[in-house]
Amino acid sequence: MGRKLIRHPLYVLTMTAFVFFVVTPLIYTLAKTFFVEDSFINNVRLLDKELFFLLAKSIILASVIALFSTITGTGLALLLYKTNIRFRSFFKIALLLPLFIPPYILAVAWKDAFFVFFNDTSLISSYFGVILVLTTVFTPLSMLITGSALSNIDSQLEDACLLISDYRSLIFKIILPLIRPAIITSFVLVFLFSISEFSVPAFLGVNVFTTEIFTQFSAFYNHSLAMLQSTLLILICILLLFSEKRYIADAPFLSMGSKGAGNSCYDMKKGKILGLLFLPGWFSLSVLVPFTTLFVQSFADGTTRFIQAFELLVPAFVTSIGLAFAGAVLIVLTGFSAAYYQSHSRQGKVINFLLLIMFAIPSTVYGISLIQFYNHPVFRFIYSSYAILLIGYTGKFSFIAAKLTGNAIKQIPNSFDEAAQIAGISSSMRKRKILIPLIMQSLFAAFVISFIFSLGELGTSIMLYPPGTEMMPVKVFTIMANAPQSLVSAMTMIVLSITLLIITAFYFMMKPFTKKYRYALHKT
Amino acid sequence: MNKIHLIIAIFIALLAGSCETGSNVVVVYTTVDQIFSEPILKEFEKETGIKVKAVYDTEETKSTGVLNRLIAEKDNPQCDLFWSGDPMRSIILKNKGITQPYRSAMAKDIDPAFKDPQYHWTGFSARARVLIYNKNLMKETGIPLSIFDLTKEKYKGKVAIANPLFGTTTFHIAALFSALGDVKAKQLLTDLKNNDVIIATSNGDVKKRVVSGEVSCGLTDTDDAFEAMKENDKTGFVFLDQGGIGSLIMPNTLSLIKNSGHPENAKKLMDYLLRGETEAKLAKSCAQMPLHKGVQVPANIPSLDNIIPMKIDYDKTSKKLDDIQDYLKEWAEN
Repeated sequence: MGRKLIRHPLYVLTMTAFVFFVVTPLIYTLAKTFFVEDSFINNVRLLDKELFFLLAKSIILASVIALFSTITGTGLALLLYKTNIRFRSFFKIALLLPLFIPPYILAVAWKDAFFVFFNDTSLISSYFGVILVLTTVFTPLSMLITGSALSNIDSQLEDACLLISDYRSLIFKIILPLIRPAIITSFVLVFLFSISEFSVPAFLGVNVFTTEIFTQFSAFYNHSLAMLQSTLLILICILLLFSEKRYIADAPFLSMGSKGAGNSCYDMKKGKILGLLFLPGWFSLSVLVPFTTLFVQSFADGTTRFIQAFELLVPAFVTSIGLAFAGAVLIVLTGFSAAYYQSHSRQGKVINFLLLIMFAIPSTVYGISLIQFYNHPVFRFIYSSYAILLIGYTGKFSFIAAKLTGNAIKQIPNSFDEAAQIAGISSSMRKRKILIPLIMQSLFAAFVISFIFSLGELGTSIMLYPPGTEMMPVKVFTIMANAPQSLVSAMTMIVLSITLLIITAFYFMMKPFTKKYRYALHKT
Repeated sequence: MNKIHLIIAIFIALLAGSCETGSNVVVVYTTVDQIFSEPILKEFEKETGIKVKAVYDTEETKSTGVLNRLIAEKDNPQCDLFWSGDPMRSIILKNKGITQPYRSAMAKDIDPAFKDPQYHWTGFSARARVLIYNKNLMKETGIPLSIFDLTKEKYKGKVAIANPLFGTTTFHIAALFSALGDVKAKQLLTDLKNNDVIIATSNGDVKKRVVSGEVSCGLTDTDDAFEAMKENDKTGFVFLDQGGIGSLIMPNTLSLIKNSGHPENAKKLMDYLLRGETEAKLAKSCAQMPLHKGVQVPANIPSLDNIIPMKIDYDKTSKKLDDIQDYLKEWAEN
C-alpha cells in the first residue's frame, strides 16, 4: 500500500478528498438516521409490496428510455460522425440543444405543444409522455458518447474491412463492436439519469419511485424512510454497474487507441434518403417542437418579458457561471483521477462504486446529508460559502466525468505507455505528453457536460445555496410559480443563450490546446 | 501557469464571496414567491441598514427546499426568521420544536384566530381558497357556488385540483375534514374522484389549465386567481360556500427560529413585516387581503369583512392533517 501511495500521490489525494468531503456526509447521515435515531427497523416494515412494484415499474421505464435514447443517439452519431451527410456540422450542434435546459422546462413546453396541437394533454400526462420527453433530453448525451467513440476508431481497420466486404459488414462487424463500451456506457448513464429523474414524472403526474421518495420527504417529512428508499435505488444502480463491468471487461478496446490513424467518413449511398429524413425528423421532434413553443411563449407579451427576465437573472449570472466553471474543473479532476486510478489499481473499483452511489442518490437526500454533516460550527467556512455547492456538484457529476475519461483511457494501447517507460520517461512526463494529449477531447467533453449539468442543477442547489445569494436555476424555479408563462419562457431562452455562448467560448479556448497536442496524435 | 492562477483566483473569489459575516444581518427563509417577497425584504434592508440574507422557495416545488432545510438545520439553525405562505408549515416547525414564541406589538389588532396561542407564529396578509373558472367554458353549465356542486354530473371531467398531498391544497382538504367531519369529507372526495376530477401538479398548474381552457374550473388560491385574471380576461373566480361552511382563509405566517444567530434583527424584521404598510404592498402586488383594519388596498381586492370564513382551528386542522395523510396519498395515487 505504501508503494502505491508514492506511485499515485495526486490520485490518492484527490480520492481521499472525495471520500472525506463528498461520501462521508452521506455515510454519516445514513448511520445517524438508521442506527442512532433507531428508525431502521421501524421503517423496514414500511417497505411493502406496492413499493417494490413501483420500483419495478420505474426500472422498466428507465430501461425503455435508456434503450430508445441509446439506439437513437447511436444512429445519429453514425450519421454525423461516419458519413458525409449534408449539414452535419449544423446538426452536431443543433441536436445537443435539449441538453442545455432543465428537463422540467422541456416537459412544460411539450405539454403546451400537445395542448396546442391536440387540444388535450392526457396523452402526454402518462408513461408515454415521460418516455418521449426524457428520450429527447437524453438522446444528445448518448450521441455525444457514441460520437466521441466513433471519431476515435482506427481508419485502417475500416479500410481493411471495406477491401473484403461491404458497408453493412463494416457497421455491424467492425464499428458497432468497437464502440460497444461507449454504447453500454450510454445505456447505463441514461438509465441512471432516468431512474433518478424526479421533475418530469412529477410534472406529468406519473408516479415513479423518485416521486414516492419525494412524497415521504415533502408531505410526510419522514426523512428516514426516504433515506431507506433511496438506498434501494442505490442497490439497483450498483447491480447495473456489476453487469456493465462484465460486458466492458470483454469488449475489444485495443483497436480504438490509434487516433493518429485518422477518422474516415463515408459517402451515403442507398441510405442517403433515409438519413436525410431521419436527421431533420429527429431535429424537428426534439428541438423544433419544444423550442418553438418556448420561443413563441416568450414573445407572447412582446419584448418586455425579455427585458424583465434579463433584469431578474442579471444578479445570478456571475455566481452561477463561476460556480459551474469551478464545479466542472473539480468534477473533471475527480473524474480523471478516479478513471486513471481505476485503470491502474484494484482499489479503483471501490472509488467507481462510490462515484456511482453519489450520482444515483436523489438530490434531496444528498442535500439533506450535506446539511447534516456540514452544518456544524467546525465546518462553518464550508456550509456558509459556495464550497458547499461545489461539493454538491462534485458528488453529483463526477461519475459522468469518470465514465467519459475512463473510456478514453481504456482506448489507449498499453504499448504507448510501456514504450515510453522503456525509454526511461518519467511517470509524470508520460501523463503530460502521452496520456493527457490523447484523451484531451474526452476531458474537454467531460468538462463541457459537467459545466452544463452544474449550471442547471436544481435539486441539491435549492437545498444548499447560501442565504443572500442567487443561482440561475433556483431563480427560474422560484419565479415561475406566480409569473406568467411568457416570463418563464423568456428566462429559459436567456439561460439557453448564455449556455450556448459560453460553450462556444470554451470551444475556441480549447482550439489552441488541440493544435498544441496534435503532434502527439501524429507521433503515435 | 497563468491559466492555473486564473482558476485558483476563481475558486478563492467564489469561496470568499459568500462567506461574508457580521452582526448587522438577518437570515430569512421564505416560501412566499420571490417575485412578491423580495421587494419587501429589499425595502426593509434600505430602511434599516440591516442586511437581509434570504433563501427563497416556492409552492411550485412544494417548498421542499426551505422546510426540509429548516428541519435538517434544527441542531445548528442558520435561519433567524421563517416567512411562510400559510400556517401549516409554521405549525409543523412548531411541533418539531424549531420555532420560539414572540409576541409582536405590531400584531396587536390582528384577530387572535390568526395567531398561535403560544405566539410561535403570527399571521398577516391572507389569501383564500377560491374556485377559478374559464368564462367561455362555464356559460353552459353555470358557475358552481359550493364545493359540493363540483361533484355534479355536469362538471364531470371539467374540474382540476392540485395534488392534495402538498401545499395549500393539503391545508384546504384538512380544513374540510375539520369543518365537515371525516365521513362527509371522505364522501366528498370519493364523489369528486367519481366525477373524474383532474389532479394537477400544483395550484399554478390548475391556473394554467383553466386559463388555457383545458378544464372549465379549478380550486386554487386568490393570488393565482388574480394572476390568471391579469393573464386572461376570460377568467373569473368565486368564493365557494358563502351560504354554508365558508371559504378557507390562509394568512402568511412569521416564526422566529429557536437558537438563531440574530434574534434581535429577526424581531425587527418580523415587526416590520407585520405592519399595515406591508399588507398594503402585498395587496397591491399579489392580491392578498390585509388582517389589520383600515389598510388601503386597490378597489378590486376583496375585504375579509365581506367573506364568510371557514371556521377552523389551525392547530387542530394541522393535527387532522396528520391523521388523513395516508388516506390522501391513497386517494391521489389510485
